[in-house]
Amino acid sequence: MKVVTMYPEVNRDKCTGCRTCERVCPVLAIKVVDKKATVDMSRCRGCAACEQRCPVYALAMVKRDDPFTVQVKVRDEMLPRIKEICARARINPEYIVCYCTATRAEEVVAAILEGAATPEEISLATGVRTGCKVECIQPVLRLLEAAGIKPARPEGGWQWYGRTITAFEIPQAVKAKFSKRGFYFDEDIKLLDKVAKATPTKEGAE
Amino acid sequence: MRPPIKPMPPRKSQYGIAPELVKKRVADMPGITSLLVSELFPDSPKVVFPGDRGIEAVRAATEAALEKVDMSMIKPNQSVNVLTSHHGFTLVGGEPFAEMLRTIRDVVARRTGCENIRLRAGVGLRFRETEEYIKRFRLDEHYKGKASGIAPIDEGIPIETEIGTLYGIKRAYDADWIIHAHNSDVREVHFHRQVDKVVKPFGMSYARIETRSTYHHNMGPRAANFTARAIFDSPFVQDKFAFTSFLVASPSGVVGVDADNNLYALNDRLTAAGCAFYGKIMTLLGQIDECIAVLDFPCPVPYVFAAGVIYANFAGANVDLFDLDNALPAYTWYTEAFYGKGGPLVEEVPPVNPAIKMCVHNYAWGGYPSAFFAEHIPTVVVGREQADLMNRDPQNLTYMNFATIADGTDAAMRFARAVTGTDKIIIFDGAAGGINVSESLAGLLVARAPEIGRRVDQYLLPRWLEQRGMDISVLKNLKTA
Ligand code: SF4
Ligand code: SF4
Repeated sequence: MKVVTMYPEVNRDKCTGCRTCERVCPVLAIKVVDKKATVDMSRCRGCAACEQRCPVYALAMVKRDDPFTVQVKVRDEMLPRIKEICARARINPEYIVCYCTATRAEEVVAAILEGAATPEEISLATGVRTGCKVECIQPVLRLLEAAGIKPARPEGGWQWYGRTITAFEIPQAVKAKFSKRGFYFDEDIKLLDKVAKATPTKEGAE
Repeated sequence: MRPPIKPMPPRKSQYGIAPELVKKRVADMPGITSLLVSELFPDSPKVVFPGDRGIEAVRAATEAALEKVDMSMIKPNQSVNVLTSHHGFTLVGGEPFAEMLRTIRDVVARRTGCENIRLRAGVGLRFRETEEYIKRFRLDEHYKGKASGIAPIDEGIPIETEIGTLYGIKRAYDADWIIHAHNSDVREVHFHRQVDKVVKPFGMSYARIETRSTYHHNMGPRAANFTARAIFDSPFVQDKFAFTSFLVASPSGVVGVDADNNLYALNDRLTAAGCAFYGKIMTLLGQIDECIAVLDFPCPVPYVFAAGVIYANFAGANVDLFDLDNALPAYTWYTEAFYGKGGPLVEEVPPVNPAIKMCVHNYAWGGYPSAFFAEHIPTVVVGREQADLMNRDPQNLTYMNFATIADGTDAAMRFARAVTGTDKIIIFDGAAGGINVSESLAGLLVARAPEIGRRVDQYLLPRWLEQRGMDISVLKNLKTA
């Protein structure tokens, strides 16, 4: 769940049309049109990624007159599918995927069940990846993969590159070589597995 | 009782309120005293900064450390990226770290004849932060216009590692050679657990979001840092790696500079030094039975610090953070993620340090997801401006859902004392060399320090080092004062 309170205002005199903002926007809400950045206000989730990376400081975050909330409701009839997809991804449905918005895995899967098929569409629907912009891409990609979806990267964009390894997939030889150096691979795998299989604390609530 | 140490002044930044809005520092209030780390633990390492020789001592230590480093691989017509990140700039005011970075450039240019030396400074979650430091410490001038910030959402580059493809920031690696310049402050030990700490920036500060997300979601709380080692070990990075230089930090200040062509040799020395230098003060702060914790430093909530210990670590001081047999600290993103709707999903999740009865947020920045702290620790924020700052921050939109606002510092402290019934106060204000506390808390810390010192030396330190495959003898090669 994300409350959208801000949007970027473009200083058209400063904007050089370099497209950096377009390449970093996690929901594809800002585009260069006629050599100037243009914001789609209905898509923008107020994350400030564009404002933080514009090389010429042409963007400023300002308050929206019409703040709104984005959230995908987890409906009862979705629960069996949510459980199944989360189990395949080895992520507990109540696991917090995005720390900034406290979005749980079940909401991400609910978005997928409602038709979101890329990280960008999931972010648009739930707000994940629009807080710190940094930490939540892997669980999103894992959940999409577990739902049988192979998303396409935004063309020319830097939004994301690919899913990476999980602890469950670390080669045995690597574990053997480094376990004496303080990397507690097997112990952590056990912990992650226990979390994945834990009974939700308040199933179906909210 | 000793007077309080001057806290780090407020700093102008887009991530905090304007310095003039910080009207009162808690260290200046009656009943606050200071304890020097060197008095609590007389065997603390000797500090070169702050000291009589000023910043010159850091330059001399850097030059001496670099003397033994081979730079012959760098040719005059080649390019070099000095890779660094934001953390060092909050250490003892930031000037010592900036001076090490300036000295590295000077020495490399002098010894190799190379002039194409760039500073590439990574960030945490505040993408303009190192741009601010570059300006503030005039590193752009020193690097002849070739200093810039790099962020994890910038263009990426795939790096093939022994655990598959991971992703670096392209501009971190767009040179013939890289130099890894950092500091050894243990800081976010709750994340790296002092395992391969020196390697960590390859998985975080110089890495793309995919890699950082791997660290924080895919690997587990104690295996996470392997992502950094995998990147550093990759042929791609090995082919570019020239050497490394670290500002050696301790809870009382900078104790020297250590440099090496062999990152793992330096990693061993600084891993042991981190456990040895910070282990005692961290364990001592875990002895506090009840207190009001005050945030009063130009940094995001979890990063404000006292005697080298950050607030996030104090929030977990009820657990031994160095002991790897403890699966989870009371705070990491793994811990946070493992809280279900009705509480922790597994019993390994420890409670947030129950000694913290209340937090007074007198001055701290946004730019890091901090709602967890306000949710778990009763929090009073001083001033409407700071509340507004958090409410504007996309990473903290719910922080104020859990915190209350006081008009001023006096009111906040009066409220905290009245509600908690304690007058034990610890201030995270970055005071150099010591820690500002109330007299009642000072008494407790002074009384407990000798026994904690013995326990760490005899029992805990050998255990921490053994878990990391090393022993204390590795420290004999550490370059300090
Ligand atoms: S990043 Fe800045 S300069 Fe580049 S197109 Fe966007 S607004 Fe314009
Ligand atoms: S979603 Fe973020 S990056 Fe995209 S336009 Fe809005 S503020 Fe900018």
